[in-house]
Amino acid sequence: MTNYMLLAPELVLTLVALAIMLAGLFFGTKHKNILGYVAGMGLFAALSLTIGGLAVNETLFYGTITIDALSQFFKIVFISVSLLVTIASIKYTEGNKNTDEFFTLLLFSTIGMMVVASANDLIVLFVGFELASLSTYALAGFEKKNPKSMEAALKYFIIGSLSSALMLFGISFVYGMTGTTSIPGIAENAGALAASPIGLIAVVMLIAGFGFKMALVPFHMWAPDTYQGAPTVISALLAAGSKKMGFVAAFRIFMVALAVLSPNWQTAFAILAVITMTLGNVVAISQTSVKRMLAYSSVAQAGYIAIAFAVMTPMALAGGILYTLSHAFMKTGAFLVVAVVGYMVVSDNKNAKDIDHLDNFKGLAKRMPLTAFAMMVFVFALSGIPPTAGYVSKFILFSSTIESGLVWLAVIAILNSALSLYYYARIVKYMYFLPAIGGKVSEPRPYAVAIILALAGVLIIGIWPEPFVYWAMEAAKVLMV
Amino acid sequence: MIPLTYYLILSTIVFTIGLYGIMTQRNGVRLLMSVELMLNAANINLVAFSSYNDDMSGQVFVLFSIALAAAEAVIGFAILLSIYRMRDMIDVDNINLLRW
Repeated sequence: MTNYMLLAPELVLTLVALAIMLAGLFFGTKHKNILGYVAGMGLFAALSLTIGGLAVNETLFYGTITIDALSQFFKIVFISVSLLVTIASIKYTEGNKNTDEFFTLLLFSTIGMMVVASANDLIVLFVGFELASLSTYALAGFEKKNPKSMEAALKYFIIGSLSSALMLFGISFVYGMTGTTSIPGIAENAGALAASPIGLIAVVMLIAGFGFKMALVPFHMWAPDTYQGAPTVISALLAAGSKKMGFVAAFRIFMVALAVLSPNWQTAFAILAVITMTLGNVVAISQTSVKRMLAYSSVAQAGYIAIAFAVMTPMALAGGILYTLSHAFMKTGAFLVVAVVGYMVVSDNKNAKDIDHLDNFKGLAKRMPLTAFAMMVFVFALSGIPPTAGYVSKFILFSSTIESGLVWLAVIAILNSALSLYYYARIVKYMYFLPAIGGKVSEPRPYAVAIILALAGVLIIGIWPEPFVYWAMEAAKVLMV
Repeated sequence: MIPLTYYLILSTIVFTIGLYGIMTQRNGVRLLMSVELMLNAANINLVAFSSYNDDMSGQVFVLFSIALAAAEAVIGFAILLSIYRMRDMIDVDNINLLRW
């Protein structure tokens, strides 16, 4: 007997998404604003249900869905990101006649990510992956009169579908050599895969397929373009949510299913991690668009998380997993700040160009003190300064790297963090030390709420990390069987 | 019975044609066709393995993947259509507002 209560978060979100889609038919544009609140409440209910089922460890539907510490951890990451994005989007979609589609797609992409987090079978994993990807392709092109948004959607779509094709091709070989699509089943039969050259082809294809989603260099070219062109709230979802989906899928497939082949992929991930963080940080320095700079910084952060694959000790995995949670809050918050600044610039001047240019951050501390303070915390957290979430997760990740003997990797990562401080500090300089152009502006309430929630997340994990570290270690245990 | 290797060679050829298309073609619709070729190469693999391993889950997988490929094509054409309405062409070389 299947216990459907365990799937309650997904079921609630599906029902809310469908209800919003239907309600959109009957509501006038003026009243569609309420749909955002409905989506937010649905996500909040799903979040509470997920937290309620934190200690569960069961499999459903003939072992194709697993509810364990890892899946619950990532589900909470995805729902929190979606919740923050939804709250901010209440303002963003105001007066837009496609508000219902926006929130439906947002919820469906969240459901897709949650299914991936729970997937214990390659078919389920692939379907969830595609559900999340297809919804986000459409969301990236949500501003269909804006050439930049459409370009972002096109680039994201082409690279995204290429990545799913590579992934499916890799999966087909894994299935062929092991004769099963169940992840524990593959782990049992992976010996056949390791013995044949096809195993190597499959690993390469899977690294490429997931690498595109995780935006590891050299599979990152779409990410800066898409994050810059897409609506800013959606960039937050992509950088903080959709990228983590690539990580949780890769954790399950490489660490559990293909653990026997780890000599094949461990070094590959170490090299990818190094070039990803270095290129991301170096290119971010020369950016004048804050959105594009955050995009490159997000590429660099993916490099740090990828260290977990190269080290593969329980502590490093816990660090990587905790990093995804911290990064979710830091990055969502930073992108939402960019969205508020964009809103401020457009309300100053309707025809403003380059609304995400660094010059618009001049004197932000005088114009919007709260936003400027939040941005300062987010960028310091991203570069890893205590007492923030970024510091805690970097500390665990890098110290476990040193413990396991990969000192060179830790040194490169720490040097990179120092390098990244340069462009993060530049934003703070612009906000606090340059004169303001224009008077004080009050943040729209939905944006302010979302930013404060993200800020709270970053500071709470930073100041009181024990429960989160413990929780991440529980999640890492699932991968170390 | 046709040996399994023949199927794998066929699927590799189809996959390579698709990958080549993605890298060289500039027309949006041709890019979509290339992606479909790559997905179908994976489908050939799955069905071939399924029949040689005597296990049905590969064929179930293919049913899902065909449906997803169709959904993907719908999104792709929708994006290309709105770009066409804006610019009167879908040549990806000329879509270059965003660059470093």
